[in-house]
Amino acid sequence: MPLWFARGLRRGVVTTRYPARPDESAASLPTPPAFRPDRLTREAADRLVAVCPSRALERRDDLLVFDVGACTACGRCARAAPSAVNASEEFELATTDRSALIKKIPIRGDA
Amino acid sequence: MTTEAQAAQGTVTKTVPAADLERVTADLAKTPGARLADMFASDGEVPTLRLVWALESGYLVTETEIEGDQYPALSDVAPAAFVEECEIYEQFGIRPVTGKPLNRLMLPPHAGPARGVPGGRPPGPTLPRLGHPPARPPEDVHAPHTVGGQAFEFPFGPVRQVGAESLYYGLVTSGEEVVDVYLFTWHKHRGVEWRLRGRTPGQAMFFAERAEGLSAVAVGWAFAAAAEAALGVAPPPAAGRTRAVALELERLYNHAAATAALCQATGLTVGQSAAEIALERLLRVNAAAFGHRYLFGVVEPGGATRTPDTDVLRRDLPGAYGELRRAADALLGTNSFVDRLEACGILTAEQARRLGLVGPVARATGIAADARLNASAPQNGNPYVGHPVMVATAEDGDVFARFQVMLAEAAESVRLIGEFLDAGTAAECAALPVKGAAEAGGGSGLGWAESSRGEVLAWVALDEDGRITRARLRPGSVRNWRGFDDACRSQNVFTDIPIIEASFWLTAAGMAR
Amino acid sequence: MSPSQDETETARRLREAIARQFGRSLHIRTLDTGSCAVCEQEIRLLSAPHYDLHRLGFFFTPAPRHADLLLVTGPAIRAFDVAARKTYEAMPGPKVVVATGACALGGVYPADPFVHGNVGEVLPIDVWIPGCPPSPLALLQGLGVAVGRLAEKTPGLTFIAADPMGSET
Repeated sequence: MPLWFARGLRRGVVTTRYPARPDESAASLPTPPAFRPDRLTREAADRLVAVCPSRALERRDDLLVFDVGACTACGRCARAAPSAVNASEEFELATTDRSALIKKIPIRGDA
Repeated sequence: MTTEAQAAQGTVTKTVPAADLERVTADLAKTPGARLADMFASDGEVPTLRLVWALESGYLVTETEIEGDQYPALSDVAPAAFVEECEIYEQFGIRPVTGKPLNRLMLPPHAGPARGVPGGRPPGPTLPRLGHPPARPPEDVHAPHTVGGQAFEFPFGPVRQVGAESLYYGLVTSGEEVVDVYLFTWHKHRGVEWRLRGRTPGQAMFFAERAEGLSAVAVGWAFAAAAEAALGVAPPPAAGRTRAVALELERLYNHAAATAALCQATGLTVGQSAAEIALERLLRVNAAAFGHRYLFGVVEPGGATRTPDTDVLRRDLPGAYGELRRAADALLGTNSFVDRLEACGILTAEQARRLGLVGPVARATGIAADARLNASAPQNGNPYVGHPVMVATAEDGDVFARFQVMLAEAAESVRLIGEFLDAGTAAECAALPVKGAAEAGGGSGLGWAESSRGEVLAWVALDEDGRITRARLRPGSVRNWRGFDDACRSQNVFTDIPIIEASFWLTAAGMAR
Repeated sequence: MSPSQDETETARRLREAIARQFGRSLHIRTLDTGSCAVCEQEIRLLSAPHYDLHRLGFFFTPAPRHADLLLVTGPAIRAFDVAARKTYEAMPGPKVVVATGACALGGVYPADPFVHGNVGEVLPIDVWIPGCPPSPLALLQGLGVAVGRLAEKTPGLTFIAADPMGSET
């Protein structure tokens, strides 16, 4: 047992300071997409809706409706339309209001 | 697929008439080095029963059409088939001719046809099957012991300790000693195989890798390889090496997690913390190298979608693995820990062979089988050809032996990753033909990969448009849970059960799918 | 469907009550309604040295009777409904239910004969944590939101990428 105690002291503290301070490991986490309205055409939006395996995307007229709660950050939409889709880099997504996770992205690429 | 192409791929498919099935099975079971790796059925005008044998020369799949609702009793010659016989009965309504009782295993109690039971539970909704539901529902599990005298039976779960998957144990005990333990995983049956039907391999991949998320790379690879075999394509070699790097990273983090679980089960909190530090560092290596802590979304039918960041991998992996190595060395020098593992949960090689167990569980009894060594020619895209794996085995078949095998495999994984990185990786996909699947690949194929838990098998049948008509996923957990009760019985007490469970490191999700 | 004025006010008062009662010490019971097992691994890491939820006053408990917060994973497999409800009902009030992971929030599996596809069909949810899986950092943020210690970011996020050539389109 003294072996473990000494080992622990030598190893030091690895504990994150999050949430008091940011944690740099967050930079490599996969995050939901952010969309470029100017690069979204109706046709591109329909392609994105079809490629999403988790039913997180839906098109209603000139709005791309994005359910962040259903998103798995799989990256298929970004691969299907790389100019219209970036990484949002947001991982702090918890909410007390489910409707706050439904985002409406204007489709302005046809204009 | 043509016979030459199949043989080149290491898989041979033979049609066996129902009248010959028992004899052929008995002959194969007696062949040295043969192992029944899986058994499943497919729907059609009549159901087709397939047995997958792992032979020294590669895999052999026997296909038999079953008229009527009975087939020869195969688990009498191959006890490894019993769990599959139960599953096949639940899904296709066909059963062995001996009429021996089969257990309800995969589907929940209310999955039967809607009917009222007088004085009992109201009828529940029926669940869809892959074929046709059985005429007579399978019996509930009867543990093969006498509950009387001093032995009593108590249920535990499915809601268990914090952070553990839902899993139901039926524990039969006379006090402390474990007389028997049987498991139900139907609380986690999501119907993955049912769900894959009608999808293209690319669409199905998303669900295949989530069948057992802790083996996402292995199950995904086996599934992708099965689709590739069905379509007659092979991934580019560099993409194959990308898959192998991801698979070895998956093996590493799982073995670290199993080490942490062993420490938790034995109450050695400092050891658990040390192993968890290693596990977290390995997961961060995965995220930095492949963009996901659990390596989701790397394997794709045809190849790989992402290539690892080799600089980050070379820089960060040695330190993360060193963390695990130092924790393991300290554990091996802690007598109170090692004493709990030795002679605990013993499985013999004979038991492992009879039940067709795979992975470290089998290797710890001395059986040197590893799916990474399975015969296949380079054109299959098997990246391990040219990078032979040193298979780790042990002799005693106890928890300690399984732990030693995992540690040896972790070291070997690090070495292999270095070799694959040196040989070059890429994110490339071979184009998958959409139409004409039947001509290109024969329309069906077998894929495999060695997960941290053991051999994963997948078999896929595609229609003319390249859509799945039948997908079979057989993670290592499906094989190995049946060894769990043998390992827990006799000479083991309650408090040994979590230790044995950690040394198996299976999942309920992988069994239930 | 946006909440009414009354509902928003009730929710705010409830959150304040929760923060008063749970702000310093919260006991968490986990519930797996059919996950792929990865969400559980991330949850287990909350008590690992890198994250150490104890320093924030959060603790795991195996007993629903001692628990304040139910952390739920999985797509709500129908065969598990009875066990899920029994666990929830065994927890004394006040209690908070946190659904975590894309499966639990309605993604991945659509409703079908095997699964509800959404834990909200079986249990009343107070907090939603997206991710596949939610990382331990995301889980810590979610727990902080659940006890009112951290402000939510989600309502202010648009998921609209700024135009690199100029102002946001």
